[in-house]
Amino acid sequence: MPPMTYDAIVVGSGISGGWAAKELTEKGLRTIVLEAGRPIDPAVDYVEHVLPWEKRYRGMGNRKQRERYQPIQRHTGACDEWSSKFFVNDLDNPYSFPDDKPFYWIRGRQVGGRSIMWGRCVYRWSDLDFEANAKEGYGVDWPLRYKDLAPWWSYVEKFVGIQGRKENLPQVPDGEFQTPWPLNAAEQKSRDILLTKFGGERVITNARLAILTEDHGGRQKCHLCGHCARGCITLSYFSSINATLPAARKTGRLTLRPFSVVHSVIYDPAKRRATGVRVVDGNTKEMFDVYAKVIFLNASAMESTRILLNSSTPEFPGGLGSSSGELGHNLMDHIMDGGAVGTLPFATDRREIGNRPDAIYVPRFRNIKTKQPNFLRGYGFEGRAYRPNWERGAEMPGFGASFKKSLIGDLGPWEMDFGGFGEMLPRHENYVALDPNLVDAWGIPALRVNCTYSENEKKMQEDMVVTATEMLEALGATNIRTYKEDNPPGLVIHESGTARMGRDPKTSVLNAHNQVWDAPNVFVTDGACMPSTANQNPSITYMALTARAVDYAVKQLNRREL
Amino acid sequence: MRRREVVRFLGAALALPFLPSGAEAAIQLGKSLHERLGDVPFRTLNGDQRALVTNIAELIIPETDTPGATSVKVPEFIDLILTEWASDDEKATFLAGLSDIDARASTMGAARFVGLPAAKKVELMTTLDAATADKTGAAFAFHRLKALTVYGYFTSKPVEEDILKVQMFFNGYQGNVPFTRAV
Repeated sequence: MPPMTYDAIVVGSGISGGWAAKELTEKGLRTIVLEAGRPIDPAVDYVEHVLPWEKRYRGMGNRKQRERYQPIQRHTGACDEWSSKFFVNDLDNPYSFPDDKPFYWIRGRQVGGRSIMWGRCVYRWSDLDFEANAKEGYGVDWPLRYKDLAPWWSYVEKFVGIQGRKENLPQVPDGEFQTPWPLNAAEQKSRDILLTKFGGERVITNARLAILTEDHGGRQKCHLCGHCARGCITLSYFSSINATLPAARKTGRLTLRPFSVVHSVIYDPAKRRATGVRVVDGNTKEMFDVYAKVIFLNASAMESTRILLNSSTPEFPGGLGSSSGELGHNLMDHIMDGGAVGTLPFATDRREIGNRPDAIYVPRFRNIKTKQPNFLRGYGFEGRAYRPNWERGAEMPGFGASFKKSLIGDLGPWEMDFGGFGEMLPRHENYVALDPNLVDAWGIPALRVNCTYSENEKKMQEDMVVTATEMLEALGATNIRTYKEDNPPGLVIHESGTARMGRDPKTSVLNAHNQVWDAPNVFVTDGACMPSTANQNPSITYMALTARAVDYAVKQLNRREL
Repeated sequence: MRRREVVRFLGAALALPFLPSGAEAAIQLGKSLHERLGDVPFRTLNGDQRALVTNIAELIIPETDTPGATSVKVPEFIDLILTEWASDDEKATFLAGLSDIDARASTMGAARFVGLPAAKKVELMTTLDAATADKTGAAFAFHRLKALTVYGYFTSKPVEEDILKVQMFFNGYQGNVPFTRAV
C-alpha cells in the first residue's frame, strides 16, 4: 500500500469528528476521516417510518439476540428493534470493569457515530459552570470562560439549526434559535402555574433541540414522525451524515474511509510531534499508517483516550499525553433516573397533532441563588406532558367492548414527567486504563473502567425526586409516581473527561485550544477534553470546542507553528 | 418518555365488569382480515392453550364494529412472543398460569374456561383483573395476556392502518387542538 499522506487526519465521524472534517476541509486542508465502523446509506439504513407491524416483534425488540450480542448496549432505550443496528456488538468491542463497579459504555461505530441516535438536546453553559471547579476545588479550572466559547456556540448553532425559546435565564444562556414549536396545552398551563408558584425560579421551557422547524441549509423542516433515533430521511435533525459530512464532501477535500480502526498515534520524538496514526483495517485486519501535519482525535471520549493510552513511547510510557499523570482520569457522566410522573387535572379537552420528538426542559434551579446543604452544583429536568392513548390499556381496569372503545376513542389524561439530569463531579479515582488481558476484535487493547457515582450525585438524585414531586403537587397532579433508579454510570451516554483541558501541563492533558501538551499537533475535541460536565447535555459544546480548535490549528499551521 | 411504564406487561387494575357485546354476531368481520394476514403456525401453545388464549383475548378486545383480537391474529402474536422472545422461566410461569385459569374454571362448573357460560367467564376475568399484585398463577397469566393482547392488537397492521390511521408526515406541530372523547 503506498503511503497515505494528507494535510489532516480526523479520527471518528461522529458529532465532533463531523465538525472537524467540515471545518478543516472548508479551511483548505485535504482531510481524511478514519471511521472504525461501516458506511451508512440513509436510503437503506434510516428506518424511522417503518411501523411496528412491519417488525417481527412489533417493537419489543429481538430480545435474545440483544442479550447475546449486545448485553451492554441493550440497556439504553434507543437500542430497540429499529436502531439496535446503530449500536456496537459488545462481543467485538469488549471492555472490563470491576464486579462492584459496573459501567455501561454505550457506543455507535459507523459513519456518523452516535450522532445518528443522539438525544439532540443542546444547551449552552454559563460561567456558573466554567467557574465551579476553581471555586469549589474539584478537578482543575477550565482554561475558558463563557465569553471565549460564546461566539463558537453561535457559529455552530447557526449551522446546526436549533429550535428553542429565548428565556433570558443566566444559567442556560439563549442561543441562535429557530422558531420554537409551541408547548402543548398541558405544558403551557403547567409553565404558567409553576412560574407563579415558584416565583420564576422553576421554568418549563421548550427543550432546545437540534431539529429544524424551518428549512435550513438544504435540509427540510421536521415532519414530526417522532422517531429521530432511527434516522431522518428529510435530514431535519442534525447529525454528521445529515449536515457536516456533506458540507465537508462539497469542498472536494474530504476522504472518508470507513472500516478504519485507529490503533495509535505515531510520535516522532525528534520532532516532538505526531506524524500520523496507525490503523487496522476493519475487514482485512491489516495494519497500515496514515500521515498528516495535524491530527484531530474525535473517536468519543473514552475511545480517543484509549488511542492515546495505546500510543506509548519511551518518553511517554503511560501513553501520549500522559506526562501529567491525568490521562485516563477524571471520567464523568451525568446522573439521571431521578424524578416523578403524575396525572394532570387539566386540559382533558385538548390534544396534540404531530409527534414532537422531545418536549420540555426545566433548567437548573439549585445552587444558583441559594446554596444547597446536601450537594454541590445542580440538575435540570427533561420531560413532557403526554396522553398515553391505547398504551394505557395494559394497566387500565376492565375488558370487553367498552374497554376497547375507550382505548380507541379516548387518549387518557395528560401525564407529566420530570426526569432529572445532574452534574457528576470530576474525581481522579474515576478512570480508564488499558486492560492488560483484553483486546478487541481487531487486536487492540481494550479499556478497563473504574467509575462510580459519589455521594454528591446520589444526594442530587434524591433531590430530583423531591423537587419533581413538589412541582407535580403544585400542578395539582394525582397518582404521583416517583422513581429513583440505581443505574451504573455510562447509561446517560454523556461520558466525558479522561484527557482534560487545563491551564497547566502538570495537571492537564490538553491546553486551552485542545492541544495535547505533549504533542501540539494532536487535538482532542470530543468529550475527553472536558474538565467538568455541568448538567447540560454536552454535544453542542463539543461542536463549539471543535470549531474553535480547528480555527486555532489552521492559523498555527499557516504560521508554521505546529 | 416513560414509555416502559405503559408497555410493561404487569398491569394494575381495579376491575369493573363490562359485558362484551355482540361478539358472536361480529365474527364474520374478521374473516377477510385473516386472509390478509395469512396463516401463522403455533409453536408453543397447544390446542387447549390456544383455545383459552384466543377466547380470553377476544373477550378483552372483542369484535364490534371494528375487528377484535382474534381477527388481527393476537393469539398468533402471543405464541410468537412465547416462542422466540420470552425466557424459559417466563414462558413456564405463563403456561402454568393458564392451567390455573382452567383450574379456577373447574370450580365454577366446567372442565375448562372455554366451557364456562359467558356470564361465568366474565365473572372469573373480573376477579383476575382485580388481582393485580399476583406474580404467579391465574391472575398473573391474565394480566400478561391482557397486556400482550392490547399491545398485539394496537400494533397490528389492520389496526394501525384502518383504526389508528398512523401518520408519519405532519406539516407542523399543534399542541392545543380541541378533543372530544368518543366513548
